[in-house]
Amino acid sequence: MNMGRHIPLALAVLVALFLIAPMAIIVPMSFSSAISFEFPPPGYWTGYYVQYFSSPSWLDATFNSFAIALGSTVFTLLVALPAAFGFVRHQFYGKSAFNLLVMVPLIVPAVVSALGYYGFLGLLHLVGTRTGMIIAHSVLSIPIAFLVLTATLKGFDQNLERAAMNAGAGPLRTFFWVTLPVLRPGILVSALFAFLHSFNEAVVAIFIAGRDASTLPKKMFESIRLESDPVIAVVSTLLTGAVFLGVIVSMFLRRRHAHVN
Amino acid sequence: MHAFRRGVSREGVTAALLVAPATLAVVVLFVVPIGYVLLLSVTDPTISLEHYRRLFTVPLYTSVMLSTFRTALVVSLACLALGYPLAYVMARRSDALGAVLLLAVGLSFWTGFVVRTYAWLVILGNKGPVSALYAAVGLGRPPQLLFTSFSSTIGMTHILLPYMVLALYGVMRKIDPSYLRAAEGLGAPPWRGFVHVFLPLSLPGVVNGCVLVFTMCLGFYVTPILLGTPKDMMISQLISQQIEDLLAWGFASAIAVVLLCCTLGLLAVYNRFAGLDRLWG
Repeated sequence: MNMGRHIPLALAVLVALFLIAPMAIIVPMSFSSAISFEFPPPGYWTGYYVQYFSSPSWLDATFNSFAIALGSTVFTLLVALPAAFGFVRHQFYGKSAFNLLVMVPLIVPAVVSALGYYGFLGLLHLVGTRTGMIIAHSVLSIPIAFLVLTATLKGFDQNLERAAMNAGAGPLRTFFWVTLPVLRPGILVSALFAFLHSFNEAVVAIFIAGRDASTLPKKMFESIRLESDPVIAVVSTLLTGAVFLGVIVSMFLRRRHAHVN
Repeated sequence: MHAFRRGVSREGVTAALLVAPATLAVVVLFVVPIGYVLLLSVTDPTISLEHYRRLFTVPLYTSVMLSTFRTALVVSLACLALGYPLAYVMARRSDALGAVLLLAVGLSFWTGFVVRTYAWLVILGNKGPVSALYAAVGLGRPPQLLFTSFSSTIGMTHILLPYMVLALYGVMRKIDPSYLRAAEGLGAPPWRGFVHVFLPLSLPGVVNGCVLVFTMCLGFYVTPILLGTPKDMMISQLISQQIEDLLAWGFASAIAVVLLCCTLGLLAVYNRFAGLDRLWG
């Protein structure tokens, strides 16, 4: 019909397939009975799932991943939420410098931060500990959370708070009953971003997690490098599934957020 | 007057209390570690600029830096060529297809680098689908794909593509479709409307995407190490080698400082013309 419309569409679909296809390969790989990386698989079984769920080292890494991601999400929000309020609602000396400072962890290449943490946390004897990982991941997530939270706060209609105050609510009551519920989708999205960032982060983990605080990305990196452990396909499938859920949830939250504003 | 001044200072105190934790966290737990790298680069093992002299005079190291820049350029251009049509369609459609494309981009954006690198390891491997396709067509064994600069370039392009698409999409979504209708109404064929109206308006997105992808690619760690070859090293591989194999803290730190300076220099130029705030839209 119309070449001008169809060519971009066809290109776009091809590129989207290029993005998705490699991840789609992972799912059949996880049920493969091959002992090394082989595709198409020579046969199917669920044995590597059993291996994953009975391997202490993979389960430890899974537990560490969740614990570290959860810890750093909490720490990130505790720091970024007040900062976003201060930044959006107040004028203060050095505001633009502050904005730049908060963005610094996002600007610095991951391998440079990783080297910095390796040295710095080494001085504090925190290399190879969950505490060290939580510290590093929290700081690296602050810029992302800050960006999402300031964008949410800028769209917040402060008349809602004034109305609540005029109706006799105190500042605390107003905050918990008006401000927080309206901002909740934005807060949840930034929490999700912080969580996924920590959960996926590999470079800093490779440098500082050591054996005791090893996370899934680090363990996968090492398994790929040292032995072609087929359990990697299982872990990849589970991770991709989790991300799929997360993305759907965040799309849903954003849509609801768009309705609220 | 007095009351007013007290009001201002109370506002100042509130603001300071709110931003203090973030400031403290970033300074103590980020700026200080980076400063430590800077310090190590000129003090380990002795106080000197010897590491930097070596880095800029030994041909092996200068060629690593040049090849890193070349790879980053190739990856940025590949991402742009692939990402532009996808972002264009996403921005101009608000139907189910647009949502599916956005989901595809979002999904790959949030899937970890290691998982996606692993997928390429399978695809390009000896027993992978590319190899099977070669055999099926009767071409015999394919050339060595894995552990070459080709495999590491394609892997990085795949991984950084969502960043490019989202940067382009953020700008393209804000282009008012009525401009294009106006061009059409004035008699311009669609391709002309695209070249003279849409393309120029989308350029800020192109710049954002390229700066983002280029800077991320400069320091890319996981993919070049797993898919690439030591023969055609990138900066991050050099850092990893110095730390892991040689425990050369000082030299590794100097390489990291140079990498950091390149990234900051590029972003400073961008900031001068566009303002850093826009980079992450």
